[in-house]
Amino acid sequence: MASKVSLKTKGKGGKGSKGSDEKSAAQCLKDWSTWAMKKAKVVTHYGFIPLVIVIGMNTEPKPQLYQLLSPV
Amino acid sequence: MAGLVPPGTTAVPADVSHTAHTKHDEKTDYMNLPCPIPYEELHREALMSLKPETFEGLRFDFTKGLNQKFSLSHSVVMGPTEIPSQSAETIKIPTAHYEFGANFIDPNLMLIGRVLTDGRVNARVKWDLTDNLTVKANAQLTNEPHMSHGMFNFDYKGKDFRSQFQMGNGALFGASYIQSVTQHLSLGGEVFWAGQHRKSGIGYAARYETDKMVATGQVANTGIVALSYVQKVSDKVSLASDFMYNYLSRDVTASVGYDYILRQCRLRGKIDSNGCTTSYLEERLNMGLNFILSAEIDHRKKDYKFGFGLTVG
Repeated sequence: MASKVSLKTKGKGGKGSKGSDEKSAAQCLKDWSTWAMKKAKVVTHYGFIPLVIVIGMNTEPKPQLYQLLSPV
Repeated sequence: MAGLVPPGTTAVPADVSHTAHTKHDEKTDYMNLPCPIPYEELHREALMSLKPETFEGLRFDFTKGLNQKFSLSHSVVMGPTEIPSQSAETIKIPTAHYEFGANFIDPNLMLIGRVLTDGRVNARVKWDLTDNLTVKANAQLTNEPHMSHGMFNFDYKGKDFRSQFQMGNGALFGASYIQSVTQHLSLGGEVFWAGQHRKSGIGYAARYETDKMVATGQVANTGIVALSYVQKVSDKVSLASDFMYNYLSRDVTASVGYDYILRQCRLRGKIDSNGCTTSYLEERLNMGLNFILSAEIDHRKKDYKFGFGLTVG
């Protein structure tokens, strides 16, 4: 039992030291790219249709704002 | 004047000889083959005739153009929707939703966005960077985590070939290439690699096209063999047939159909080897007003779907 406990703490201590080394460049890049993809997904989800509407409302001939809402 | 006349006289005989080539097919000019259609549209004619978008229930589409390039669309769909079930019988749940869409269509840039009442967004972008290079993006985004999909395609069009590279989420990569080999025949191949499912595949395709008929064939190492043949009987009628065989799962489907394109309506019908008949009618009631009737009867599964709809604009 005592040996088991000591093995556990050794393992945890070993993992702790390895963990600080594991944050290598590849891991950082992967973390950042995942974060960027998540943000890009949220931005696209909420912003794509407003973007299309803004681009459309600024082309010539400029449509009026009420034309967006009225069914005619 | 003297300098202008010689090019004129040389241009006319070349035109006459070009029409002689295309009409009489005496000699193919292998340096001037036509550009083939994109790889994903290989079965285009057969798909248009044999797989109309059948639906069940009511469908109402209203497209309002604000501009030459910009339009908004509103769509209401009410009807039973099938949910996948393990048992043999089909389970349908009545659903109703409203979809709002915004389209911006320019010669170089096309943006199409659709949003549904449950928060799903469907976005498509097509951007022609140059005459030959096109970037396309397609995304279906939902509020549920891990259920969103996105795909980017980079297309390069050469003089008589087309190539495409695609990347999607879940480490999905694909590439395809199609080349015109003679005036009528084009051959192509594709590879894909899906990282998340640890699958990869390779496939080959061939398409033979004349004025009167189109025959295509596609083989893939996922076990699919798909052949199709479309005959244009007249400019109003075309007949199509399709054969799909999966040699790994021993699944065979053959279908035969017709496509009548008349002045006021378009009627498509098909019958399947699975005991399923489909019919789809689009009737033009007035300028910009289309009435749609759709019927799909599956005798084997005893699943009957009838739908009607109206499209305005």
